[in-house]
Amino acid sequence: MKQSQSQMPKKDFFAPVKAWKFLGKKPVTIEVPNKVKREASERYRGFHINDWSKCIGCGTCAKVCPTDAIKMVEVPGLVQEDGKLPQRPVIDYGRCSFCALCVDICTTGSLQMTREYIHISDDPEDYIFMPTEKGIKAKRGLYEHGKAPLGWVKDKDSDLLDLERVLMEMVEPQERVRSFIEIVKGYSKEQAMKEAARCVGCGICTYTCPAHMDIPQYIESIYNDDLEEGLRWLYRTNPLSMVCGRVCTHRCESVCAIGNRGEPVAIRWLKRYIIDNVPLEEYSRILDINPEKKGKSIGIIGSGPAGLAAAYFLATMGYDVTIYEAAPRPGGVMRYGIPKYRLPDEALDKDIALIEALGVRILTNMKVGEDISFDEIAKKHDAVFLATGFGLGRSTKVPGTDHPNVKQALPMLKMIRDFLRGDGPKPPVPKKLVVIGGGNVAMDISRSMARLQMIEYGKVDVHTASLERTYEEMPADMDEIEEALEEGVKFYPGWGPIEIVIENDEVKGVRFKKCIRVFDENHRFNPQFDEEKQIFLEADMVIEAIGQAPDYSYLPQELQEKLEFFRGRIKTNEYGQTAIEWLFAGGDIVHGPDIVHGVADGHAAAKGIDLYLSSKE
Amino acid sequence: MTNSMNEALKAIEIFNPMVEEIDERQVKVSVGNDKLVSVLETLKSKGYSHLSLITCVDWIDDGQLELVYILFSWQDGGKFIVTTRIDRNNPKFVTVKEIWPVARFYERELHEFFGVEFEGNDDMKPLFLELWDEMPPLRKDFDPREYSKSKFPDRKYEKDVIKEAKIFRGEIDG
Repeated sequence: MKQSQSQMPKKDFFAPVKAWKFLGKKPVTIEVPNKVKREASERYRGFHINDWSKCIGCGTCAKVCPTDAIKMVEVPGLVQEDGKLPQRPVIDYGRCSFCALCVDICTTGSLQMTREYIHISDDPEDYIFMPTEKGIKAKRGLYEHGKAPLGWVKDKDSDLLDLERVLMEMVEPQERVRSFIEIVKGYSKEQAMKEAARCVGCGICTYTCPAHMDIPQYIESIYNDDLEEGLRWLYRTNPLSMVCGRVCTHRCESVCAIGNRGEPVAIRWLKRYIIDNVPLEEYSRILDINPEKKGKSIGIIGSGPAGLAAAYFLATMGYDVTIYEAAPRPGGVMRYGIPKYRLPDEALDKDIALIEALGVRILTNMKVGEDISFDEIAKKHDAVFLATGFGLGRSTKVPGTDHPNVKQALPMLKMIRDFLRGDGPKPPVPKKLVVIGGGNVAMDISRSMARLQMIEYGKVDVHTASLERTYEEMPADMDEIEEALEEGVKFYPGWGPIEIVIENDEVKGVRFKKCIRVFDENHRFNPQFDEEKQIFLEADMVIEAIGQAPDYSYLPQELQEKLEFFRGRIKTNEYGQTAIEWLFAGGDIVHGPDIVHGVADGHAAAKGIDLYLSSKE
Repeated sequence: MTNSMNEALKAIEIFNPMVEEIDERQVKVSVGNDKLVSVLETLKSKGYSHLSLITCVDWIDDGQLELVYILFSWQDGGKFIVTTRIDRNNPKFVTVKEIWPVARFYERELHEFFGVEFEGNDDMKPLFLELWDEMPPLRKDFDPREYSKSKFPDRKYEKDVIKEAKIFRGEIDG
């Protein structure tokens, strides 16, 4: 300051008088706006416009602004929905330096600049605006309101976002179809940090994630190379991060702000990177869980995603937790449903090991209703959480499905996994297989059987038919369909089974008719067929994978009568509490099959059980 | 690369430059501090006589500033980008105003924005910034947002910007 002041010209005693001499001269300054208004250049960075129909309220413009001129303001009337936040930027033109960084980083391209550059007012209130499609109402400006032509807009060179994902290395199709090795190799540190750098931290994903994971926070931990902090972020909401880092339905990625113009951030692979790179021995030190014992006990039926998640959160609150599991190993669908090439046992073991280390008892080979009665469990514990999942398969019930070589996908997947871990016999491997179904389970069984066929006969002969008429319409993930195609599975979209053809007591194949519509106008499942168009697919085994159903036979009759059901699912409040106050439920039997939803349910139920037991004191 | 660029490159070979061809008419040449002036003079004598710009890159992680001299030839339109790296914590170099008088303005600018001092050029009055009292603003550790916040306190506005936006969008009547 001092230096600059000393450089100011010294004031002359006659200066005021000298100024008078300019009185008679023509002014050098041009009055603006002049009679002839000068248009700004084509790429001028003038006042903003923001297309509200494109803007998702991600707030990236406010974050990048070097002069702190942009604030995100919630707009009453806009609603929070998947992929959108109900807020829009407000720009303070008293601060804005018109650098255009906000335009260059805008995730959707909704924010742009016009060539309007004149706005003259002596009222400071006129310098704050929430830009809309029409932009600023410029006073004494060049253009009519809303008519200013575009100036600076983002182009390939000025775009500040990295729209391309860091490629994940995968085992090649020809190699992976010969065994059950895990396909996805995982990111290296350099790859993970590069991918993490693509995230703009808007947090739109957190709303959509059923478990509301702190996604921007753990991605920032990766960027800062602080995986311990990353692990703590993961465990705040999801104790099955290893599993979810591999097989989550990743709805977060479908709403990622970067996905509006580019490839969404690989959130799932980044989560996996944290878990893959923190050794299990370090977990208890990093997470530092030492709850005060509450002296109350909770019984959980089922050790799938919901049961394990509930157990973890209850244990961290200080409850004594016991899980009853019918199968010989814990994990439910993660252990017996999802194929090994997507989720190896070791991944699941790591997640479960921490939960057991917290003192959770998992009693395996303990089928409720056979090895222990439900009443005994109810008597033993202060509250009970049901997380028994959808364990039964559904059948198309077309003629011939009662033949022993017409199988259900879930028991077959279980048999394959048991065989691979040495727990059971080799499943029967057909030379020609037809799979009925278009969801992820259909993909799992098609691809698992393709591998067994490759190992057994050296070639794949799997034909998978679904009612849905296109790959887009099929409920399976596109990745799954693509990878199955690469592995040699043949798809027949748009065909519904008529009958299983059986000759001399042997399965010969399946006859299908053309499906012309799956859902009716009310979006209800109501398929219609063109009976004239038919195909026949040869097979010596048929596997049905058209959906799963719950099995409530373990629940005593009088209890079932007290519970409320809706289309086979148990009705609960937001905390998983059923009509019976000490009985909670979650996972598939409440929300349908989805692992991360199960985790969210387990978390909600743990909170609910804690509220219920605290209120009883 | 044009013939005359090849020729010029040969002439500066003795200064052990690191050469990187950018495109047909642009070559980047990086040299040690003590070789820079000789390289510039040689290139000037070979026709690259127009000093288009002196600028600077802050390599904060390496603790270095890279001085960048851009020389242009009116004969074939070729461009040499001559650079050298200096210590970021003690950013001193020599002036080239004896070779190109115009350099004194570029050097003043670099002093203002990166804090580099040029021996032999004492006129370091600020060119652009008024009453500047912070670190040179083009250094990467300068935080423009913090600066902006500390110098210009937020104004409390009274206007209902949401209502105004909704009127502009035709959602409600003005």
